[in-house]
Amino acid sequence: MFSISQDFAPPFKLISPFFILGSLFYLFSSCYIFFIDASSLTTLDTGVLGFVHLFLLGFVMMVIFGAMAQLVPVVLEVGHFGVELFYAIWPLLLIGTLLMVAGFVALPALLPYGGVVVLISMMIFVMEIFLTISKVKKLNMVMSSVLISNTFLFFGIIVGLVMALAYAGTIDADIASLLRAHVYLVIAGYISVTIMGLSVVLLPMFGLSHGFSMKPLEVALYGMGSSVVLVVLSSFLKFAFLEYAGYALAIVSLFIYFYLVLSIYKTRARKENDIYVVSLIFSYISLVISLLMGIVYFITSYEPILLAIGWLMFVGYFGFLITGHIYKIIPFLVWFERFSPLVGKQKVPMLVDMVPIKSSSAQFIFCAAGVSLVCVAILLQNDMLLKAGASFLVVGAVAFFRSVLYMINFK
Amino acid sequence: MYTKEELFKAISTVIDPEVGFNLVEMGLIYDAECDEEGKAKVTMTLSTKACPLHQMIVQWVKESVEKLDGIQEVEVDLVWEPEWNITMADDHVKKALGGG
Repeated sequence: MFSISQDFAPPFKLISPFFILGSLFYLFSSCYIFFIDASSLTTLDTGVLGFVHLFLLGFVMMVIFGAMAQLVPVVLEVGHFGVELFYAIWPLLLIGTLLMVAGFVALPALLPYGGVVVLISMMIFVMEIFLTISKVKKLNMVMSSVLISNTFLFFGIIVGLVMALAYAGTIDADIASLLRAHVYLVIAGYISVTIMGLSVVLLPMFGLSHGFSMKPLEVALYGMGSSVVLVVLSSFLKFAFLEYAGYALAIVSLFIYFYLVLSIYKTRARKENDIYVVSLIFSYISLVISLLMGIVYFITSYEPILLAIGWLMFVGYFGFLITGHIYKIIPFLVWFERFSPLVGKQKVPMLVDMVPIKSSSAQFIFCAAGVSLVCVAILLQNDMLLKAGASFLVVGAVAFFRSVLYMINFK
Repeated sequence: MYTKEELFKAISTVIDPEVGFNLVEMGLIYDAECDEEGKAKVTMTLSTKACPLHQMIVQWVKESVEKLDGIQEVEVDLVWEPEWNITMADDHVKKALGGG
């Protein structure tokens, strides 16, 4: 008999805070919408920026970081360099996010402090991933995507640090230019590239898909990577053509990526439409709609369209992709920790038994309605519709939080 | 000592917790043999190289064969060729998953 390596499944107590906090921030973000006024929305409004940081740092990054603790060894096929470092990442990200949001909402003086704490947590994460990648002997396309995305995150952190210092008055820098580079490096460079790379591992694994071509991933990754470089360069060279070429390339790359997802979906053996699949369908529909709206924005430059694109990308695409995967990742981790030692000794539950059907369905329905209503509210700048959408989202977010607790406490 | 069918029957107690079917009906066990001295060898694959239960499933297969009387040693050969696909699964699995 040989011992079981724990390399591919870090202890659940290490990862669970990321998911619990992430789902709580999802709820806080939904509540936050009640304090936004739809009639005066702009991309630089501090209320909007507060929401964006609450959602992206508190929910998106928190859950991605937690998920990566488990997924990186699966994808890279080597154990973590120092998985214990994740114990430091979530408290720092939590404190930093709260300080930053407080900074945007009421106390601007807190912004640089919050920014620095967030940046420290991200730097620990990036360095741990780099050191883990250094153990890999030969990189395949998916492994390369992890390297590319984390390199963008590294530079995004550096730019963010310069911004924080400029905010604090320590150095003199053009914050507006830095902001574009920072946002693009983190959102397009890190989050989008990470999603692209991991989805060709996770989607076929859960859907039992085979026989699809990986070529679109290669094209989409290179396209997205080039797009990030172009937009970042445009931030410093003040050359508008580079910026718009970068945006256009990003839209094309994401369409190619969507084609890849569609081919994985078509070749899947598992045809059931469980909460995972319907969440992903909503997520990718949000992506396509936001890309189409991106083309419209190129033509019209109507700012509410840009805000609606951001909303659909963040809460529709990222949000549902993450919540869908949480219904797969948490049951696996809990099952691995709690039930796998009992296999062969007593009856153990299947992973599907650990997903609460009612609350997960409620989460999907209410959140999907909320995301759709808020999107329309942003486009029409209708405050009542915005609050109606927020109401649906809050109910959905409560159901989501309940689902997460149910899965974590499953016995 | 044991026929391929007997070994497959023993391995069929191992269930993939993600899909809820046993490894034999999923078509993941390619071959199994056992000599007169009780040395068994199982050739198997997984539905994906990225399976996080990789090591556990291999161990469960090993343990399922070790439970048979007289088995002295079990070797599990995890292969990726031929690559698994749903056509290798039993008809009732394909039907249950919606693919057949």
